[in-house]
Amino acid sequence: MGKKGMNRRDFLKLTGAGSLAVAAGGLGSGLLAPKWVWGATPKIKGPVKVGYQAILSGTLAGYGEFHKMGAVMAVEEINAKGGIAGQKVEMEFRDSTTKADDAIKNARYFVDSWGADFLAGIDSSGQALALAPVMAQLDRVLMVTHGATEKLTEEFVYKKGVKQIFRNCMPTYNDGHAAAFIAKDFPAVKWSTVSPKYEYGFTCWKMFQESLKGLKPSVQFVAESFAPFGTTDFRSHINTIMDAKPDGLYSTEWAGELISFVRQAKAAGLFEKVKYVMFPVGAAMDVLEGLGKDMPDNIWISARYFFQYPKSKVNTDWVARFNKRWNHYPAYVSETAYSAIYAYKQAVEKAGSKDTKAVVAAMEGMEQSSPAGTRIFRKEDHQAIYDVPWGKTKSDPKYPFKVMADMKVIPAKQYFNRPPFSGPGTTPPFK
Amino acid sequence: MQSYVHVILAGLSSGMFIWLVASGLTLIFGVLGVLNFAHGSFYMLGAYCTFTVLKYLGAGYWTGLLLGPLAVCAVGYVVERFFLRHVYRIALPYQLLLTFAFVLIFENTVKIVWGGGALSPPPLSFLGGSVPILGRNFPVYNLFIIAVGPAVALLLWALLEKTWYGRIIRASSSDREMAASLGVRVPALFTGVFVFGTWLGALGGGLSVPYVGLLTPGLGETIIIEAFIVAVIGGLGSLKGAFAGALVIGILSAFGTRFFPAFDMALTFILMGAVLLWRPQGLFGATR
Repeated sequence: MGKKGMNRRDFLKLTGAGSLAVAAGGLGSGLLAPKWVWGATPKIKGPVKVGYQAILSGTLAGYGEFHKMGAVMAVEEINAKGGIAGQKVEMEFRDSTTKADDAIKNARYFVDSWGADFLAGIDSSGQALALAPVMAQLDRVLMVTHGATEKLTEEFVYKKGVKQIFRNCMPTYNDGHAAAFIAKDFPAVKWSTVSPKYEYGFTCWKMFQESLKGLKPSVQFVAESFAPFGTTDFRSHINTIMDAKPDGLYSTEWAGELISFVRQAKAAGLFEKVKYVMFPVGAAMDVLEGLGKDMPDNIWISARYFFQYPKSKVNTDWVARFNKRWNHYPAYVSETAYSAIYAYKQAVEKAGSKDTKAVVAAMEGMEQSSPAGTRIFRKEDHQAIYDVPWGKTKSDPKYPFKVMADMKVIPAKQYFNRPPFSGPGTTPPFK
Repeated sequence: MQSYVHVILAGLSSGMFIWLVASGLTLIFGVLGVLNFAHGSFYMLGAYCTFTVLKYLGAGYWTGLLLGPLAVCAVGYVVERFFLRHVYRIALPYQLLLTFAFVLIFENTVKIVWGGGALSPPPLSFLGGSVPILGRNFPVYNLFIIAVGPAVALLLWALLEKTWYGRIIRASSSDREMAASLGVRVPALFTGVFVFGTWLGALGGGLSVPYVGLLTPGLGETIIIEAFIVAVIGGLGSLKGAFAGALVIGILSAFGTRFFPAFDMALTFILMGAVLLWRPQGLFGATR
């Protein structure tokens, strides 16, 4: 992937070339276009600058690369077609690491020193929560493309009124609630989990338990084992699960840790003992490609986007273009990164301005057609509503990794928490 | 019964990995007096080089395990011969800074050469299966690791205590000037010890390839912290202490995860704190 990835120099060349093309285009239209057309173009001064940050170092460095592929591709396409409202897009990409301090430093650098109009990215929920108050101060829109905690949109956007935050990726609702909608149809009664020992793992397991209990009161939760960030050895966690003899295992382990977990669980014979296994982020490309044939069959997986869904032309074309550009299937963060840049394009052109207030107003309730399907940015909490698939792992001779069979889509409206986000009737199952 | 046995087995196998890393760290500190932060990077490089040999050269795992760590030894040689050698005489913080710089350099090198994403090694054909132990499967490979740990410990003990080289190494580490004046080529000897320590760390990395089942650029980060804790508990510079420390930490964290999940992350630090209060020099450290 290193070779296909883009370095700084390539990127500078790219934006340089883009700016030339735009300059030439601008000149041409300035000379040739009748005055009234020129006057109708929204007045936006200077380039549209997007500061993007994602994890580029450490164990999760692959995620940053995947974000970059999607974001760079969007910038290339937009600049090739005349930019945003006639202005070229410039992007700077920085390493967010996983620390809240670094994310805040990057955001301040982007806005105060580099002059970013918009920010995007962020993998960690912890970082997203730490950034929210900072974004209110900096007064720039941040599109979160990976960090999934529902508290970001429920607490900060809805309850505290931090209007500068938007999120275009699936929140924890899919990982927790939707998983329960799938699990209710299994004969499994006794459920267990091995999940990350931080906010994300706790909150998803809690949502899964509450929704499943609501949908199927006979369920029991018999074992839970939380693995700290950076765990490479899951043997003890696997022991905890196997001691409890559950029917079902639910795990929000993700990325490399999920790969290690699956391999070690397989060696311990866990998949023969536990018949119903669900990995809400198991359909991430890094996991599917990393495990290859080692991913057992008949495991229920999902992700915040999966390249086989939806079967729309927009999506299939995009997957083909992505494959051609990067020689890779798009990861879900590639899709969210790509769509984030396009969401800014749509909003700026709609608002006719890069001004934060105008863009926020344009984005509230905005409907965006994207590879993942139609996204609607909910006015109340700025969360994008769209559907993602669940499916059972199976081999397919067309792919060197497992893909989804028996695809099921639970409509997002059925399981997304609803405003005002507290009190009865705000969490699924809804009547 | 089944639970306890499997918890102990899990603890033993993870402890042995920590030992392999901690042994090189301890050897280098004991002889050269350098706290090598980059030791975790040698572990990571060992894993990547082993992976490369077995994946791209199409060789078997054992060839990979032989050649991979040897390739990392060349890196260790360059680090000692051209960089570390110049900071032995200056204050400790400079050594830490230099070795930390190498951590960053190696992590980025790995990203440039192998990419930032996770790589998955092909499954093992030999030692690849599992054996039922008290009714639950346990990977044969982990049993192998549990045997490798003590074997390396024995090798180190024999080398340092029973051979002429070992005597020279011990002599040079206790008094550099005296050894040098007696005709020992101390700089060359130190290079040799550093390269050997590098090999131990890289071997740990190479052995981790089938066990962890994936390679990422951050591979060395967690293990180096555990190895440091083990080295401190055992007594900095004491190989015996590092071995005991690794066993204790491995088993304690396995028990913690299984039986006291609320404290499992704190347990090792609590133990380290307790040891430092009770015996600041570590379990097997020499009183100074």
